[in-house]
Order: sequence, then structure tokens, then C-alpha cells
Amino acid sequence: MNRRLINWTLGVGTPLLLVTAWWVLSENSTNTFFPPLSATLERFQALWLFDHFGSDVMLSLRNLVIGYALATVIGVGLGFATALVPVARWALDPLIHFLRGIPPVALVPIFISLIGFGLEMRLVSITLAAVFPTLIATVDGIRSVDSTLKDVSAVYRLSRGEKLAQVYLPAAGPQIASGMQVSLQVAFIVMIASEMLGSSQGIGAMTLLAQQSFMTSDMWAGILLLGVIGFGANLVFEVIKNKVLAWYVGSKRLARS
Amino acid sequence: MNRKLRLPVSAGGVAAALALWQLIATGPMAGGPLPTVADTFAELAGLLAGGAFWAALADTLVIALAGLAAAAAAGVVTGVLIGSFEPVRYATAAVLEFLKPIPPIVILPLVVLIFGPTTPMSWFLVFFGCVLPIIMQTVAGVHDADPVTLDTARSYGLGRVEILARVTLPSAMPFIGTAMRVAAPAALIITVVAGLLGGGPGLGRSIYQAQASGDYPVLYAYVVVLGVLGLAFQGASALAERRLLHWHASYREVLTP
Repeated sequence: MNRRLINWTLGVGTPLLLVTAWWVLSENSTNTFFPPLSATLERFQALWLFDHFGSDVMLSLRNLVIGYALATVIGVGLGFATALVPVARWALDPLIHFLRGIPPVALVPIFISLIGFGLEMRLVSITLAAVFPTLIATVDGIRSVDSTLKDVSAVYRLSRGEKLAQVYLPAAGPQIASGMQVSLQVAFIVMIASEMLGSSQGIGAMTLLAQQSFMTSDMWAGILLLGVIGFGANLVFEVIKNKVLAWYVGSKRLARS
Repeated sequence: MNRKLRLPVSAGGVAAALALWQLIATGPMAGGPLPTVADTFAELAGLLAGGAFWAALADTLVIALAGLAAAAAAGVVTGVLIGSFEPVRYATAAVLEFLKPIPPIVILPLVVLIFGPTTPMSWFLVFFGCVLPIIMQTVAGVHDADPVTLDTARSYGLGRVEILARVTLPSAMPFIGTAMRVAAPAALIITVVAGLLGGGPGLGRSIYQAQASGDYPVLYAYVVVLGVLGLAFQGASALAERRLLHWHASYREVLTP
């Protein structure tokens, strides 16, 4: 019991200690690269709460959410189509695998050349780059559905719709979810990259601009905000995933014990 | 559907995609930013014949592999240290969990500010992006070692180092292997991002220059190269994982009658 308390204290205490150490050690810092944490937080408040909140933070987040949502819908839908129709799978497999080999950020210059620097370019880049992890995970997930399950659903003469919604989707669910989690990371990375490459709006653009004009505290504030968003997005995803896939998490825990 | 049709259908899919690209490039978007297939591949052949391309490719590979190797060495050592001592594991868990979902692109402005658009900058980003997942997987692997085997080793009088080398590390290998398989393509992607957004040497910078100067056939040729390179990285890391870990129980292939 006592040991548990110690471990718990260590778990909570270390991050607090690190932040305090950062605060104290940087307080009188004159190093241009590492400004005092207090100055960074001051700039954080001045910039993001709420001066640029509506114009930049919301803009970035909206791109991220819409692009990611589109990518998920397209990825799962196209994944189902490719996995269940052999001809489609054979025709698309080489293309999908080639396209997923391209680093997602390398697609951004192409979209800039095709669509320009506007909002649409950022949305299209996020969507298309984030489609592939979900798409590939969906195809793999459906293809690895237990053949007994398929036979049973055939014996029970389930209709096509029933099979899709009640057999394939739950069976492939865990794999689709891990694909979607990777897609979320890709969407977040491409969101930043699409803003850093020649846009003047958004958190990524402001952070890079601050760096180029040597406003280190502003840059740190941007890094801090992006870090919090990256962590927060993943946290929200985990919470929703554990809720939706509660049956799977439970069965895995049972299998382990 | 006849399985023999698979190859022709796959080839047809690729041919149809190329034909569609050519059609759009010569029809509705003629003279625009979308180059024709012929132009792109002619440019690609030109790149392959020139020296600048190979220098950029070598830069990219050296940075990616050196960053990956450093991350692997540092990650495994740190992971074993953290995983071997329970208080340390508790103390670092929250910090690692917080940092894990934050992609290296977030700290790119800071790293560029400190190192400038140089090889160390790209290398450091690759290292930073790859080391955390390797640490966390190693910790999980060390923690996962079978307690009965550990007790057995201890009752045979094996020393700490011996237990580490003969029990803990072998049982952690699949975790480390998975981390490396994911980290290798990530290392390539981060190198490209560092070049594209931070100006580090390599193919990323070449893409940026092609886009900035409006040299679209070259831009597309580079993206094609990156697609092939990405596939090669994914294939090589998956193959290496299977080859190196074939002895482990979780990789042994089950013989099906």
C-alpha cells in the first residue's frame, strides 16, 4: 500500500518537478533560444487567449477537424469497397501502396501547385494525406475477419447490410480504430506543415513566422500550444475509442488474466 | 472471380490511373501546374542521370539512418534503465505519455533556430521523433518479461547482467522490433519534413526548390522517387524484423495442414 503511494507520488510529482525546474532555471535566462518560461506563458496568453484565437487557432482546428472527418469517412468507405470487391482490390492495391509510401508532407507542395495557398489547399492536403492509414487498416481489418464468422453469417442468411454493419464492422473495428489514430497524427502533422509552407494564417504559420523574426517567446508559445493540441487530440481519441470499443478492451483484459 | 485475373487487373488499374493523369494534364489543365506523365518521367530519367539527385538521395539516407541508429541505441539503453527500476518507470510514465503524441514537426522551428538549416538539424529532428516510441516500447517489453522465467533465472544464481542479457532483452525484442519497424519509415518522413520546412539537406530541400521555382515536372519526379523510397523503407524494415526475430515465439509461423 505504502509502495503504491510512493509510486503515485512519483508519477504526479516528476512532471510538476520538471515544470518547476524549467520555470526556476529559465527565470533569469538571457539565452535567446531559451527564454524564461514566465515570458513564454505571458506571450502565450497574449497571443492565443484570445487575440488570435478566432483568427488562427480556430482556423487551424477547424481545418484539422473537417479534414480528419472527411479522411475517416472516405478511408472507411473506400476500405470496405476495396476489401469486399476483389476486382476493386486488385485494381487499387498497387496504387494505394505506392501513394502511402510518399511522405504525407511531400504531397503539400503538389497541392500548393495545383490549388494555391488558400484554405482549400490545406483542407485537401490534410484529407488526402490522412486517408491512407485508415484506408489500409480497414482493408486489412476486413480481410482478416475470421472465416468462421463469415460462414456463420452465410448460414444465417444475413443480408448484405446486416453482414456489413453487424459482422464486418465490429470484427474489423479495433484495427480500423488504430488506423484512425495514425490518421489523426498524420492530419495534425499535415495541418502544421500546410500552414508552415507559405501560408500566413494558422498556428503553424505564426510559430514559424515568430521563429524567422527571432521572437523566441512567441515561438515557444506556439510550440507549447501545438504540443497541447497534439496531446489533447490524442487524448480525446483514446477516450472515445475506449468507449466505442469497450467490448473489445474488456475481452482483451479477460483474455490476459 | 478467377485469381489468374489478378495481375492483369492490377496492371490495368495502374495503367488507367496513368492514363487519367495524362488525360487531365493534356486536356483541362494543359499548360498548367500539372505536368504530363511523359514530362514527369522524362524529368525523372534526367534526375537519375545527374549527380545532384544522387547527392540529395545520399544526404537523405545518411541523415535518416544515422538518426535512426542513434535513436535505437539511446532508446533501448534508456528503455532498459527505465524498465528495470519500478520507481523510475512510475516517475517517467506521465512525462513520456505526454510527449509521445507530439510529432517532431512541432519543435521544428526551435531546432531550426538553434542549428540552422543544416545536417545536424535534420539529424536531431529524426532522433527526437524516433527515440520516444523506442523508449516506450522497450520499457513495455522489459516490463512484459515472464516473471516465472525471471524467478527461474534468479534461482539458478544468474547475476543481474546475465538475467538482462539472457531473459529480459530477448523477451523485449519483439517490442523493440515493432518499434523499429514503425520508426524506420518515420525516420525517412522526418528527414523529408526537415528538408522541406527547415531547409535541411536532402530530397526534402530539392522538393521545396522545385516547388518554389515552379519547376513542376521536377517536383512530381521527386515525389515519385519519394514514393518508391518510402515503399523500400517499409518493405526493408518489415523484412528485417521478420528475419532477425524469426526465433521468437510470436514470429514463429504456425504450420497449417
